[in-house]
Amino acid sequence: MISQLFILSSKGDHLIYKDYRGEAGSDVIDVFYEKVTALTGDQPPVVMSHKDLHFVHIRQGGLYWVVTTTADSSPFSIIEFLNRLSSLVKDYCGSLSEKAIQMNFALIYELLDEVLDYGYVQTTSSDVLKNFIQSEAISSKPFSLFDLSNVGLFGAETQQNKVAPSSAATRPIQSSRDPGGKSEIFVDVIEKMSVVIGSNGVLMKADIEGEIRVKCYMPSCSEMRIGLNEEFSVGKSQLRGYGAAVRVDECSFHQSVQLDEFQSHRILRLCPSQGEHTVMQYRLSDELPSAPPFRLFPSVERDSAGRLLMYLKLRCDLPPKRSVSLLPEGAGLSQELSSPDQSAELQLQNRTVFWKIPRLCGGTQLSALFKLDVPGLSSASMLEVGPVGLSFELPKWTGTGLQIRFLRLSPVHPGPSQRWVRYVTHSDSYIIRI
Amino acid sequence: MTDSKYFTTTKKGEIFELKAELNSDKKEKKKEAVKKVIASMTVGKDVSALFPDVVNCMQTDNLELKKLVYLYLMNYAKSQPDMAIMAVNTFVKDCEDPNPLIRALAVRTMGCIRVDKITEYLCEPLRKCLKDEDPYVRKTAAVCVAKLHDINAQLVEDQGFLDTLKDLISDSNPMVVANAVAALSEIAESHPNSNLLDLNPQTINKLLTALNECTEWGQIFILDCLANYTPRDDRESQSICERVTPRLSHANSAVVLSAVKVLMKFMEMLPKDLDYYGTLLKKLAPPLVTLLSAEPELQYVALRNINLIVQRRPEILKHEMKVFFVKYNDPIYVKLEKLDIMIRLASQANIAQVLAELKEYATEVDVDFVRKAVRAIGRCAIKVEQSAERCVSTLLDLIQTKVNYVVQEAIVVIKDIFRKYPNKYESVIATLCENLDSLDEPEARAAMIWIVGEYAERIDNADELLESFLEGFHDESTQVQLQLLTAIVKLFLKKPTETQELVQQVLSLATQDSDNPDLRDRGYIYWRLLSTDPVAAKEVVLAEKPLISEETDLIEPTLLEELICHIGTLASVYHKPPSAFVEGSRGVQHKRLPGSAGSGESVESPDTGSAAGVSDAPPAVIPSQGDLLGDLLNLDLTPPATTGPPPPATSGMQLGAMDLLGGGLDSLMGAGFGAPPAAPAASFSAPVSGGLDDLFDLGGGVGMPMGAYSPPKTVWLPAMKGKGLEISGTFARRAGVIQMEMTLTNKAMSVMTDFAIQFNRNSFGLAPAGPLQVLTPLSPNQSIEVTLPLNTVGPVMKMDPLNNLQVAVKNNIDVFYFSCQYPISMLFVEDGKMERQVFLATWKDISNDNEAQFQIKDCHLSSGKTAGLMKRKTHHCTAVRCSLFSY
Repeated sequence: MISQLFILSSKGDHLIYKDYRGEAGSDVIDVFYEKVTALTGDQPPVVMSHKDLHFVHIRQGGLYWVVTTTADSSPFSIIEFLNRLSSLVKDYCGSLSEKAIQMNFALIYELLDEVLDYGYVQTTSSDVLKNFIQSEAISSKPFSLFDLSNVGLFGAETQQNKVAPSSAATRPIQSSRDPGGKSEIFVDVIEKMSVVIGSNGVLMKADIEGEIRVKCYMPSCSEMRIGLNEEFSVGKSQLRGYGAAVRVDECSFHQSVQLDEFQSHRILRLCPSQGEHTVMQYRLSDELPSAPPFRLFPSVERDSAGRLLMYLKLRCDLPPKRSVSLLPEGAGLSQELSSPDQSAELQLQNRTVFWKIPRLCGGTQLSALFKLDVPGLSSASMLEVGPVGLSFELPKWTGTGLQIRFLRLSPVHPGPSQRWVRYVTHSDSYIIRI
Repeated sequence: MTDSKYFTTTKKGEIFELKAELNSDKKEKKKEAVKKVIASMTVGKDVSALFPDVVNCMQTDNLELKKLVYLYLMNYAKSQPDMAIMAVNTFVKDCEDPNPLIRALAVRTMGCIRVDKITEYLCEPLRKCLKDEDPYVRKTAAVCVAKLHDINAQLVEDQGFLDTLKDLISDSNPMVVANAVAALSEIAESHPNSNLLDLNPQTINKLLTALNECTEWGQIFILDCLANYTPRDDRESQSICERVTPRLSHANSAVVLSAVKVLMKFMEMLPKDLDYYGTLLKKLAPPLVTLLSAEPELQYVALRNINLIVQRRPEILKHEMKVFFVKYNDPIYVKLEKLDIMIRLASQANIAQVLAELKEYATEVDVDFVRKAVRAIGRCAIKVEQSAERCVSTLLDLIQTKVNYVVQEAIVVIKDIFRKYPNKYESVIATLCENLDSLDEPEARAAMIWIVGEYAERIDNADELLESFLEGFHDESTQVQLQLLTAIVKLFLKKPTETQELVQQVLSLATQDSDNPDLRDRGYIYWRLLSTDPVAAKEVVLAEKPLISEETDLIEPTLLEELICHIGTLASVYHKPPSAFVEGSRGVQHKRLPGSAGSGESVESPDTGSAAGVSDAPPAVIPSQGDLLGDLLNLDLTPPATTGPPPPATSGMQLGAMDLLGGGLDSLMGAGFGAPPAAPAASFSAPVSGGLDDLFDLGGGVGMPMGAYSPPKTVWLPAMKGKGLEISGTFARRAGVIQMEMTLTNKAMSVMTDFAIQFNRNSFGLAPAGPLQVLTPLSPNQSIEVTLPLNTVGPVMKMDPLNNLQVAVKNNIDVFYFSCQYPISMLFVEDGKMERQVFLATWKDISNDNEAQFQIKDCHLSSGKTAGLMKRKTHHCTAVRCSLFSY
């Protein structure tokens, strides 16, 4: 049971404070802030306790979302709830920031009144809440297509920004009450890849965690049908059709998804409510349908002058136009890179060399030679040269091969409506051992 | 000073301005004003002065304004109870409003105003709202009952709201059901004995039906409530499991974990051979793995839970080792937790993979993580015997890197490996000795010294090595000093000629120049031992040490059971029972897992849990402190006839027992022997001396009357297994000699000859004192009575249960093995008295030890009680200590 809920800015200013059960005073806010700022990196921040009170918090949008509880409640439901709450607030206010919260505090208090009663979570569905919420959101910024500060889903400056107006994603959902609102729906397939390649080039581990996320800005959308690849299969043994099946080990769905057509036609049927939802989550481990997108051929040796030589050759086995940034580890100075637009940097405190590659075309290969002066380099310390980690972002590509076959809305909405389907694969942890 | 004055005036001005706005005629302006008031309230300004003005705005049709006013009321009503009464009329009126939103709002707000006078007015509206036609109002009213109960429990009972609430469990709307369940669960918690939440198959059925329809949050309430139910039989348990299983694929991880909790609990009831049991095990793995794809905070919580689940049922995740491999960008707290689970899952099948990973981790940058990884390699070696050799070579590779902290950590774990596999990997000692100079941490130094002392006869310059440590004796930490003392004494006993000077030096350093009583006492004991009886000293100090246990850090079984009942909650994150951190009356009941199918007991006693329990229970685990102490107490205090499991100790007892250890000698004496185990708390007050007297009286009193008693014979080896040879027997102590009395019966067709007997190593070193006396051949259908005298000088190995004895009997046909359990009482000697001072001194030493040493100490403690081993009283205690400290 949730006792209190409060939202703090990163500086510790009280933005929202609501007491549900009268079990503790508001002075605990400062206690919390002291505790959370005193945490060191290696302490789990999840649960902190102060006398009989337990704090559970998350950080979203640069803000602390904190819940206190006195009983033996479930931190899972609290964290899950806080995540939902923050996305609700984002849906209602348009964006998550200190300013947006301050301007919409009345709306947020209204929300808090409905989502929690006496510390029991009541509902977090924006559809249900729509009926109860009276306040109108105040947008902190006028909505503009060309506002460059609105960074979309994909973070960095990829060409995606030109393809889909992702700034649309920072609209408050209730602006749909304005007749001028554009009706749009975004379906994003987002995958996170974690790969470990052994020093002998053998793929030791490869996992993909993916999700289909729907952002809906339709004033009224009664039903949406998302068709996945027909050869999509779940579980180890089940194979459907010919050719390379798109397979996942396990998947779970949002509770509003109707699965009656899933078994036969791989169609998800849902009535999307306003705002952002994760419709489906899936996971695949070990058996990737294709080879991992990047391979690295490292060689590490000691030259006659006692310097550490790291020669790295990176190969990308993908169709062209992919962007990658890289971070291998070592210690010292001097570098030779194969092309001018890359850069490399040595970070002494992490004992890491960063190799940044703004863009890497599929089917090509890059190489770099790092010469590092390491005081007291011995043959044993060669063992210490750590693994190479890659972090990258691959737009328009999914590791599992999952595709959205079609996206149908019914009844067909009058007026102009736009549908966007986007794919992206991120690196979660892509490790190549040396 | 002028500043503050200025500040107050503006504040006054602000409030004045707001007051004017609040009394404005324009609705918009009013609303804006109330918003401003609430904004000030949020940042912590005191706007209570505006109470009457805000309350005046309450009478409005504008729902938005009304909500804002209610928000203000909730905050300030408590500080202004008299004024709050002004609002009551509006509340009561609002409860009759045609708009269900307003009705619900009024009931909800009234419940939040914790003012006694208001609660009186609340009853009537609440009663109506509980029967309202709109489910939104009903679900709000259901929660309101819980609110009211918190303010005035008596009122709620008198008004009969609890019965209405119970009726709501059968409501048509699942949301209402969920809230009613949540409210009832909370109320029931404060009345542990009431039958409020009367769970029977009918209500369970209703809950399960509602489960499919309500929101995810409602599902959590219902699942948590289900977890408190104990099904009547395995069939009911299976049917509930079947209906809960679909929740495992829910996207909300809190729902998943609540479902896992229910399943883990009800699984206990299912027979293991049931197909469904296997299916369920398979179904549990994927959702648990999926939890790990969440953000690090959730991952951490998930891992803490998985850690519990893996300890209880390792088979669920045994094929999922890979998901616990560490990612380079995991936060350190997630990494450490994953590492822990990896070791728990390590088995012969996956050890190669695990070792390769651990070796990688040991070259990472993060020092803490690297240390833990190196330690993990050592734990693998101890856990999976087949891998020990590879682990050792991996560790040697790591030592070659010469990275200081890696080397130190590796030496600490190699010492543990030596403890588990003595005389097997001594070839690495030379490599270790090369790194002597780089050791600067006490633990590593102590470990190295132990190794040098233990293998002094194989290290040519052992005396030089130890002497080098001795130079800075006073600057070392106690741990190193104690170790050094023991090591040098060992060295002296092994090479007496060259090291006489050294040992004298260390003894005088320890006894004369040290302020540390532990060190001093140990020094004196060695000194006396060496000066009175060097042979005995050798026997004591160089005695064979018991092997260390496989898993040293398992959670104590009763606690684990309780934590399994709390999966997904804070308790599972802290790994502490809720009673340890939830205040007062709430949540003090200890939850238990239901007993397994078929067994009559509802609660497995902690000791039988691993042995007598289910067939594929986790590998034998040595009972941790609490248990052993429990054992000890039971063995001493219960009549000797009960060799079976001791009565199930309550959880309170377990906690008490652990406290005892923490508290050291005083409370141990008082509590352990002054009072029956059922009331440990009371006995803490027993004065030390009294407790001590009791102890000695007990020691004297227990042995003698027991000598005559022997339990009736039981069949140890049935004829079916013995190719016709049936052995039944018992143990007895006659005239100070332990005897094993057996009846051998030949049920086969042929004559049996050439009988011989052998014992496996056991906890107390029991061994046959002579050959098995079967002189004449045993013809078919003939029986013979044999009495075998036993002594306690055999090799020692800790058994589980402690009094287990594995026996091999050979005849002309084959060799047969069986195991039996002997009453501990037969080990007690009649003259078990001991000088008090000596006992006290040695005992004090033991209890001052740190926790890591408890395990072994306990095992010896119990042997300490069994005077069978106490051939030389003082010597024995020293033996206990030596092997302790040498650990």
